[in-house]
Amino acid sequence: MGAIINPFILYGLCVLGGAGVCLALPRGGRTPQVIGALLAALIGGAALLFLGVKAGHDHPNYYFYVFSLIGLGAGLRVITHPRPVYAALYFILTVIASAGLFLILSAEFMAFALIIVYAGAILITYLFVIMLATQAPEEGEIEVLADYDVNAREPLAATVVGFLLLALLTSMIFKGIGNLPGPGNALGKDVAANMPLKAERALRSAGLIKAGETVSMINLEEGFIQIQDLDGQFQKIERRDWPKSLESTNIEHVGFNLLRDHPGTIEIAGVILLMAMLGAVVLSRKQVQLDEEAKRAQAHRLGLIEREGGSA
Amino acid sequence: MSDLLTLAQSGYPAPIAGVTLAHYLFVSAAMFVLGLIGFLTRRNLIIMFLCTELMFQAAGIALVAFGRYHLNFHGQTFVIFILTVAAAEAAMALALVVLLFRRKESLNAEAWQDLKG
Repeated sequence: MGAIINPFILYGLCVLGGAGVCLALPRGGRTPQVIGALLAALIGGAALLFLGVKAGHDHPNYYFYVFSLIGLGAGLRVITHPRPVYAALYFILTVIASAGLFLILSAEFMAFALIIVYAGAILITYLFVIMLATQAPEEGEIEVLADYDVNAREPLAATVVGFLLLALLTSMIFKGIGNLPGPGNALGKDVAANMPLKAERALRSAGLIKAGETVSMINLEEGFIQIQDLDGQFQKIERRDWPKSLESTNIEHVGFNLLRDHPGTIEIAGVILLMAMLGAVVLSRKQVQLDEEAKRAQAHRLGLIEREGGSA
Repeated sequence: MSDLLTLAQSGYPAPIAGVTLAHYLFVSAAMFVLGLIGFLTRRNLIIMFLCTELMFQAAGIALVAFGRYHLNFHGQTFVIFILTVAAAEAAMALALVVLLFRRKESLNAEAWQDLKG
């Protein structure tokens, strides 16, 4: 397979995109940020569009282009917005766009886990810390952004390094890679055979087995499910009669993969989370210095003062 | 065994067509590079850590795309571990940032450049 995209066009796009990002980085209002951001967005769009034309299928996947443009554009705003709160909010947009990409890749569980964990938990923690660590302007004072937020450090050098890396990566990526396999292909090992209870529930709700009958065997190779009725008689349900609710979902596949193939890694992940929790508690603990009056007020509120007074 | 799977996958959205693995890898690489540039250029400690999260995100897209390409679920499973590491990293990093902010009353990374030794 030949390259999808000519490497020289690719390097040109990388140079232009790098120039756009470099202009878009905040430099105290000395560069036309808007023009830079527009340039970078246009280059990203052009690259994706070019890929869409070159991929040459009868119907391109519009959702992919929409989600990836939103994701990359919001990512650009994360690194160029001078206000940290807005940067965090744009990052949430990036997370939502990548969740959309995961949905197209039929990874539904990961898409929603991403939104819940990233957008719902991690980013909220970031927002809290941003709000804790910035001083509010005094009454009647105009808010001034900090110098370190307004001025980027070495924007030219960093962009050159970044887009050199991107050019290298993409020139390897586009050395011709086939299409993603269509939805008709086998997606992992089948897990339905391991779930007789689920099969029984699905068959029962489809009305294929009556009260008192149970599933005795699931044979996927030959394609039948054997059920046993009250008198001990066996019956077969052929594959063509299987109900649609018997299909295994993405979350079942991920769960089986997680627990059957990577049990040790789960343990390690648990230890990492525990250590992180302990570390965060130890790091952020602070000895609060109270003066005598505050101590007395605290003691009074806790009801300690009466006891003290009684003993004195 | 494939008939049950065909049944299972008939509900999936068809529009995989027209998009190759390279498309996803391009998006992933571009997002990673944006995160890298942000980490190198921004001077606000919190935004620097936000940029590492952007890089995590890019790695996750690449993993899921590869998993889809090879038709297994290891990629998705490893995104779960990426989420774990990202959560642990966020907890530790933000605790450190709060600690550093209390010392110097500033989020500027260059306030700590005497640490470079």
